[in-house]
Amino acid sequence: MPDAVIASDVVIARGQRIALDTSSFQIPRGKITAIIGPNGSGKSTILHAIAGLIPIDSGTISVLGSDPDKSQKSIAYVLQYAAVPAGTPLTVAEAVQMGRYSTLGAFRRPTRADREKVAAAMAHLDITDLAKRHLAELSGGQRQRVYVAQGIAQDHALLLLDEPLTGLDLNSAKTIDAIIHDEPNRGCSVVLTTHDLEEAKAADYVILTAGRVVACGTPEQVLTAVNLTNAYGLGALHVRDEAAALFPTEHHHGPDGH
Amino acid sequence: MEWFLEPFALGFQQRALAGGALAGLMASVVGTWLVLRGMSFFGDAFVHGVVPGIAAAVVLDINPVIGAALAALFMVIAIEVVHRNTTLSEDTSIGLLFVGMLALGVMIISRLDSYSGSLTTILFGDALGITTVDLITQAILAIIIIAATTLFYRPLLALSFNKEKAQIWGLSPNRAHAALLVLIAAAVIGSFQSVGTLLVFGLLVGPPAAAALISRTVPRMMVTSAVIALFSVWIGLTLSYHLGTAGSATMALTPIVIFFLVLAIKQLKPRTKEPVLVDA
Repeated sequence: MPDAVIASDVVIARGQRIALDTSSFQIPRGKITAIIGPNGSGKSTILHAIAGLIPIDSGTISVLGSDPDKSQKSIAYVLQYAAVPAGTPLTVAEAVQMGRYSTLGAFRRPTRADREKVAAAMAHLDITDLAKRHLAELSGGQRQRVYVAQGIAQDHALLLLDEPLTGLDLNSAKTIDAIIHDEPNRGCSVVLTTHDLEEAKAADYVILTAGRVVACGTPEQVLTAVNLTNAYGLGALHVRDEAAALFPTEHHHGPDGH
Repeated sequence: MEWFLEPFALGFQQRALAGGALAGLMASVVGTWLVLRGMSFFGDAFVHGVVPGIAAAVVLDINPVIGAALAALFMVIAIEVVHRNTTLSEDTSIGLLFVGMLALGVMIISRLDSYSGSLTTILFGDALGITTVDLITQAILAIIIIAATTLFYRPLLALSFNKEKAQIWGLSPNRAHAALLVLIAAAVIGSFQSVGTLLVFGLLVGPPAAAALISRTVPRMMVTSAVIALFSVWIGLTLSYHLGTAGSATMALTPIVIFFLVLAIKQLKPRTKEPVLVDA
């Protein structure tokens, strides 16, 4: 099965700053991939590039077999809940229905199938009883569940999530985590960014980034003390202990993870 | 009853009411998107940015609508040029154009002998001088604006929600933004003759902001905003007649007063639901 994403020698600049220096990586199809790294290490930049929201300055990137902007209709992108203002007067049901816009376009009326997909997404995220509530009336965790429901209500083959569990209450985090781990069973690939080593360890595949991709492979291959210290620098003294705790038998792997 | 009917007994008074109502309708519908997208400062700058176009049209004795349209186009392009070619925020480029265009407009109009009268008409409108032709122009623009808002509802809603999501959904946020700018320009151009450039802003922001306080969905916000705008025009003209105040200023002030009244009522009203800002 071909990889969902294949990136070769990708360089991405944002303004005058290089956000991601020469990097090559693959993201396997039908698996959960976690992108981990310090703040400003290029995690969200990689997600944006995969989603075709920002251009790459050099190299090549293929998403679901074609250019990222040509694959957008097959990509559901869940932004951090704090990045989406809650001031727009929308009920929960309306916000989730917006996930169908990629199929319906600007003019087509929703069919029964569209409404069923919206209802199913709301049921999966346990927000059916919040349907008539206004977004501004929800807690951060509830809003994140709404945005994940909006993502999975969309027809997609690739689900991108930017720090989906950061700052959430345990209940919302568990609900969303269950959805993430169910996506491969539905034939979808998942890519998420995270700061949490435990969350990265639970993924099938990990990309470690620190301004460029430092390592990629299975969690055991990538989340080593050496790689994490390289990525997080001298300030990450506890990284060695955490990595040792995660993977007692340490394997050292370089940028390829092999 | 006579207190309410007397101000609209004569033809020019009825035209003022109709012109103000159409201006209010256009401004409140477009203003809903302006408020939702946090573009109020842009709206403020925009309504002042058309002044040099109108002033030049007055000096050259051509249709002010053409001058306003050209100035609006220049304003939008110039803001984009400054924003894209410098590290300055869009806020700064809007501010630069705001002051620059208003100053240019005053400079141009100051060449006229009837300087203060012309400037006052541009800034504050001449509600009582609205002609039937003006009303027809306004009605056509109002129909176009309402039809376009209905047609582009999803792209505009997606853009207000999040630009990146709008792009992922294939709803062309840049085109939706351009369409919104055209709609704002149309509303301003269609309204300035009745309420003036300065006070169009009151109708662009006042009714939608008041509606936002009590609306749960965007269509309801738009309808509520339109109702507040129509009420403001009617009560504004009625009050101006009885109090002897400027009609356009009284119309523009009314939705701002309504906003603070609604806000005060909301603050005083006891909450019926328990706070929900706790993660369940």
